[in-house]
Amino acid sequence: MKIPRRDKMKIYGDLLLVLQAESSKEKVTITKIISKSNIPFTRLKKYIADLVELGLIEDETSLKLTEKGKRYLHQYETVLAFMESMGMSYK
Amino acid sequence: MSVNTASYDPYFVILRVAIELVSVVICLILVKFMIKPYQVTREGRYIGLPLGFSFLGISYAISAITYSGFANYNEIIWRFQLILRAFSFVFLAVAYYFSKKPTKNTHYIWKIVFSGLLIILATSVLLSVITPYTPRNNYLDFSVRIVSFICIAYIFIHCLREKTIAQDPYAKWVLVAYALLGLSQYSIIVWIADFSYFAFWGSLIFRLTSLVVLLAVTYKIFGRPKKGS
Repeated sequence: MKIPRRDKMKIYGDLLLVLQAESSKEKVTITKIISKSNIPFTRLKKYIADLVELGLIEDETSLKLTEKGKRYLHQYETVLAFMESMGMSYK
Repeated sequence: MSVNTASYDPYFVILRVAIELVSVVICLILVKFMIKPYQVTREGRYIGLPLGFSFLGISYAISAITYSGFANYNEIIWRFQLILRAFSFVFLAVAYYFSKKPTKNTHYIWKIVFSGLLIILATSVLLSVITPYTPRNNYLDFSVRIVSFICIAYIFIHCLREKTIAQDPYAKWVLVAYALLGLSQYSIIVWIADFSYFAFWGSLIFRLTSLVVLLAVTYKIFGRPKKGS
């Protein structure tokens, strides 16, 4: 089955979801993030740099979500749930 | 009992204006939430949702002003609010149509239907501009209501075919809301045909209930607490 292309906002949202899930574990490994987010390493580095610049994650090594990042993620998840309930897909 | 004779009754006027005003307020609140998918995703395909509810709210506001007596009821205002309302349903249907990526949309039949609906609407607008002083005719009223009904029917079918409907209780309520909105348009079509008192009031009650259900669902979803808080 062909996987539909994701736009930038969707990639940011999905990446933050993965980082949030991984942050509860002791060590966040980049290989796990690559496999869970389905983003190649070179592009992942660029997206992480973007997220740091936007103030959504603390830095490129800890990969922890900032308060702003958590707020954005909550809003992202709520809007996604709203769209699903409204019968709209965001793929 | 005809609604035309009842329209002089002050109780009728108060109730009608109250329903229109409540509809305006609900639509305005809904716009605030319906714009969020666009704000978060920055995708133009979702702009139809807030646009649709804005147009719907404006058309109800025009109805409220007209019935309250602040403005004289005339043909141009009536046609304007009628066309605004039809465009609002077209915007909503188009938003639903494009909510799936264009590459996934291979149903050319719906593209043809939407193109046809837009042509009918554009023709109705042109007819209103060219001949604004011709007497109110049932043909325009009827054709525009049919356009609105087809749009709502499309949205209903679209929601019904979504996979999430089985697991998501809110999705079922959204489906109920669109079904009520469709019934409201159907009742109006019946009213145009036979001036039935029940069809007229039924359409207003169905519409109001539908908007209240949509508002309740929206508040429930956006009022959910943060995970882990």
